[in-house]
Amino acid sequence: MTEIDINAPGVEVKKSCCYFCHQNCGVLAYVKDGQVIKIEGDPSHPTNQGGLCCRGNIALKHLDHPARINHALKRVGERGGNKWEKIPWDQAISEIAERLNQIKAESGAEAVATAGGTLRTEDWSRRRFMNIFGSPNSFHNALLCWIPTFMVETAVCGWSPFETDLGDSRCVILWGFNPGASGMPGMRGYTDLQKAGIKIIVVDPRFSETAAKADLWLPLRPGSDTALALAMVHTVIYEGLTNNDFVANWCVGWDELVEHIGQYSPEWAAPITWLDPEKIREAARMYAKNTPSNIQWGCTADQLGATSGAGMHARMILRAICGNLDCPGGDLIPGPSFTYLTDEEIEANDWLPEEQKAKQIGSDKFKLTSWPGYQRIADVARETWGKAPTAEWMCEAHGPSVFKAILTGDPYPVRALIVSATNPVSSYGDSKMVLEALKKVEFLVTCDYWMTPAAFYSDYVMPIAGALERPTIHTNYGVTDSIMCSQRAIQPMYDRHTDYTFWRDLALATGQPADQWPWENEEEAFYYIIYPLVNLGYPVSSYDEFVENFRFYYPPLHFYKYGEKGFCTPSRRVELKSSILEELGYPALPTYIGCAENELDDPALAEEYPLVLTTGGGFMPYHHSEQFQIESVRYLYHDPYFTINPATAAKMGIAEGDWCWIETRRGRIKQRANVEPSVDPRVIYAQRGWWYPERGAADPEAPFGCLESNVNVLTSVDDEHCDPIGGSWANRGLLCKVYKVGYLDKGKAADTAFSIPGSAKEPGVTVMPSESKLAYEPIPFDPKPDFEVPEGLLWDKSRRVAYQEATGFVYDPASGWLIDQSSQVYYDLYTGYAFDPTENNLVDMQTGKRYDLETRAEIGAAPEAAAPEAAAVAEAAKPAATAETAQEQAPTAEEGKE
Amino acid sequence: MTRYVMVMDQRRCIGCQSCSVACRTWNDLPMDIVYNPVVTEGVKGEWPHVHVNYTPLICMHCEKAPCTLCCPTGASQKDDDGTVWIDYKKCMGCKVCVQACPYGARDTSEMSPRLERYARKCTFCRDRRQMNPEAKPYCVDTCHQKARIFGDLDDPESEVSRIIGSVETVRLMEDFGTEPQIYYIPALGGQR
Repeated sequence: MTEIDINAPGVEVKKSCCYFCHQNCGVLAYVKDGQVIKIEGDPSHPTNQGGLCCRGNIALKHLDHPARINHALKRVGERGGNKWEKIPWDQAISEIAERLNQIKAESGAEAVATAGGTLRTEDWSRRRFMNIFGSPNSFHNALLCWIPTFMVETAVCGWSPFETDLGDSRCVILWGFNPGASGMPGMRGYTDLQKAGIKIIVVDPRFSETAAKADLWLPLRPGSDTALALAMVHTVIYEGLTNNDFVANWCVGWDELVEHIGQYSPEWAAPITWLDPEKIREAARMYAKNTPSNIQWGCTADQLGATSGAGMHARMILRAICGNLDCPGGDLIPGPSFTYLTDEEIEANDWLPEEQKAKQIGSDKFKLTSWPGYQRIADVARETWGKAPTAEWMCEAHGPSVFKAILTGDPYPVRALIVSATNPVSSYGDSKMVLEALKKVEFLVTCDYWMTPAAFYSDYVMPIAGALERPTIHTNYGVTDSIMCSQRAIQPMYDRHTDYTFWRDLALATGQPADQWPWENEEEAFYYIIYPLVNLGYPVSSYDEFVENFRFYYPPLHFYKYGEKGFCTPSRRVELKSSILEELGYPALPTYIGCAENELDDPALAEEYPLVLTTGGGFMPYHHSEQFQIESVRYLYHDPYFTINPATAAKMGIAEGDWCWIETRRGRIKQRANVEPSVDPRVIYAQRGWWYPERGAADPEAPFGCLESNVNVLTSVDDEHCDPIGGSWANRGLLCKVYKVGYLDKGKAADTAFSIPGSAKEPGVTVMPSESKLAYEPIPFDPKPDFEVPEGLLWDKSRRVAYQEATGFVYDPASGWLIDQSSQVYYDLYTGYAFDPTENNLVDMQTGKRYDLETRAEIGAAPEAAAPEAAAVAEAAKPAATAETAQEQAPTAEEGKE
Repeated sequence: MTRYVMVMDQRRCIGCQSCSVACRTWNDLPMDIVYNPVVTEGVKGEWPHVHVNYTPLICMHCEKAPCTLCCPTGASQKDDDGTVWIDYKKCMGCKVCVQACPYGARDTSEMSPRLERYARKCTFCRDRRQMNPEAKPYCVDTCHQKARIFGDLDDPESEVSRIIGSVETVRLMEDFGTEPQIYYIPALGGQR
């Protein structure tokens, strides 16, 4: 019946991929005369095995949708006036570049910030642009999506063990993870594994698609995941379910942990989580007794606000003490790739000067996911692996703080914002504040497929090429060792370009050196990335050839990697008590604090807002705020729905389909009621991402109805609600109330007024960001030396050593000598002479003269200094310090060197 | 002989509607018609003891299809392999078949771009099999959960024969006597 014949002559099959969520399912695109005529799931792709979900199937509707932006648009007239002039791409690029250079000259590079979305862009190129440009202020929604988890787990065990080896596993906890709506290929995998016998524990406050298939479902209070994790650690430890060998050999901080965890019993967690203590124990036993077992990460971990960090740490401990790290069937530590170039190696982080790194907004508060913490982790990682995690994503400005900086000029004014692949009003917290920042920022550029609220207020809107118009590489944020590649089906249509082209063109137009951008298109850049594979049995001469012949590179599974060099932490062990967190001023052991708003810590607030709101969860068919324009999926959900238990709805007189207001301290939104018993009577679940692109700019104050049903109006980005460790803000477990929309209840002016902080009663800026408090004060990290630091030496807190400033030599308190750590040569503390173990005397490295070990007197005619570095390595017979005799000459170390 | 049937594994279906959207895009359907909706009564029970069930609907490709019997022009017809389909060279859009189908699987569309006002329905992707005899209906290929299984019931080696022979399956509204060829494995069933 279909007129299109995919077997007709001239039809090419391209191995493309779906780009509408992170799974990157394989897609076969049938191309004729430069046009895609049909797509279908690729049966030979290991991820989806031919499957495609709602989103994947609408790729062709997306490709040439009438609402797509096909040409660069330049604003004409007033901002928000919705008048545009179509201009050529190159003209737009050169005008943007001129403006950025002007702002850089006037206010410094840091006045230019960029906002990103999820991992559907070549964001190493964005980072490369920003690094060479000199600005540290690029940011994503990364803090809501895995990045803080990655960094906390990396701080504790050296590299996040995120690869689950489910084939040999016996039990998996899907913690705040609903693959039934957000990761369809994963859901199939879990269903198959369950049939084969694996036990599935689902932690979810909602009876989700995944919870419906679980063996054990823990319907906890939204936002109380941290308490549950701590209580599970408690159960495992106090019931003796730990893997004692692993703990004894590979963990540090065990005794402190046992003492610390005593306070977090399941009975303590019961009122916080609303779970029966026996049920918590049952889950802990199921996990700990069925090893090897896994904990699968879910987005919830990063969306709990202040309480997030401790929960990540507790889950990491749970894995470690049950012996599930890097073993067959356990949580594998992939480490960086050694067979192709990682994102970090092509980001040009060396270009960013230290003084610019220090200006990164939010890095003074949320340290682990910005330069202070990243630098520490990257240094340790380089010592072990030789490579570091990606800086893009893992080391970024704090998004909400950048928006606050635009509005307040605190800590300094941010004058230009480039928005790429995100709809910030829908996806960042506290939407009213974000919208105001977009209206206020001096220069705004948006790169997008569609006219979004951000694009609406922009000076330039850049047309971006979509899934079928670009090749893609998938390396899990550049921190795994496998690679999945797909090719371009067709060249970009109209005057669209890929985001890589945007950053490269902009880089060259702003005057960045052309030799830093040698790759004219993605294929060239990607070939550069995979080039090391060419010598490893993948003889290809271009990127396209790699995709057509191989498409993937999966290194052989390699277990127990820690056996060689230990874990990549400062102590080479799993640091249950984390030294890196401690150094940064955070609790070294997971310490519970309540989620942003809860009835136990703030009963007065709970009286006014009696229901618990959870949001941020994905639902079919949309991904974040995408695909709302496409009627082929929009028909499944015309309107936004929140789920409310029938018992609660009956009390409030709310019937199925009623429009209701949902209100928190920060504002209110309208959604329709879905009355069904899939949530607790005390909980409501609101859909995320809603806006109404079909409405256009009828209301120029809030175009596309972007505040009306947008759940992020309700979420909080106040500093005190953010996780001090990773900076993630509060999407879940907030307090709210719900009431029906009345006939006369029109929107009020207050529904669009913002305040900083969002929870303030008065609109406007009531507290400057630099004065706002965190959820807890940083714990001063000031370890004292347990030995006397000799005069002239400095104490380094983070390394806990005394060192000589001029040379960097480290003081060894046991022998009293200085050690050059790179060559392991001993130096005399007072004279600065090196010890030569072959001749058992001292050498002045400057003059070559030799001195007696005991008296420090020059030995007659000293022979030429024979490179002592090589000879002196690891000499066991260390000379005893003879300070008394050395006193006579008593030159300081510095003088001795001269 | 070949007798194509489909098995819907309700134990695996999670109600994601991918099949429904996939069919819409593969067959280029206008918005006022859908061949294979997935329906549900929503979550039922008393919190937290709840359950949910999804039922993918589709043309049942009945053995004794009333739509073919009532068609005045012979446009609605049945292939030897069991596929019920409509020949648009003969269809005149009288909608008698739409009335006759007890499953509501047929409808007409008032919207462009193609086949306005003609009766339309699922054809087990007859077009795909004409191009490649091994091809399965697109909804089967696109289902991530592999909740749809398609095959030849007359072939004792086929997966559908194996399932129907070993697992308890039900057919919808069998008492109408049309002998539908879609078999369902109930969500809480599966054992014979």
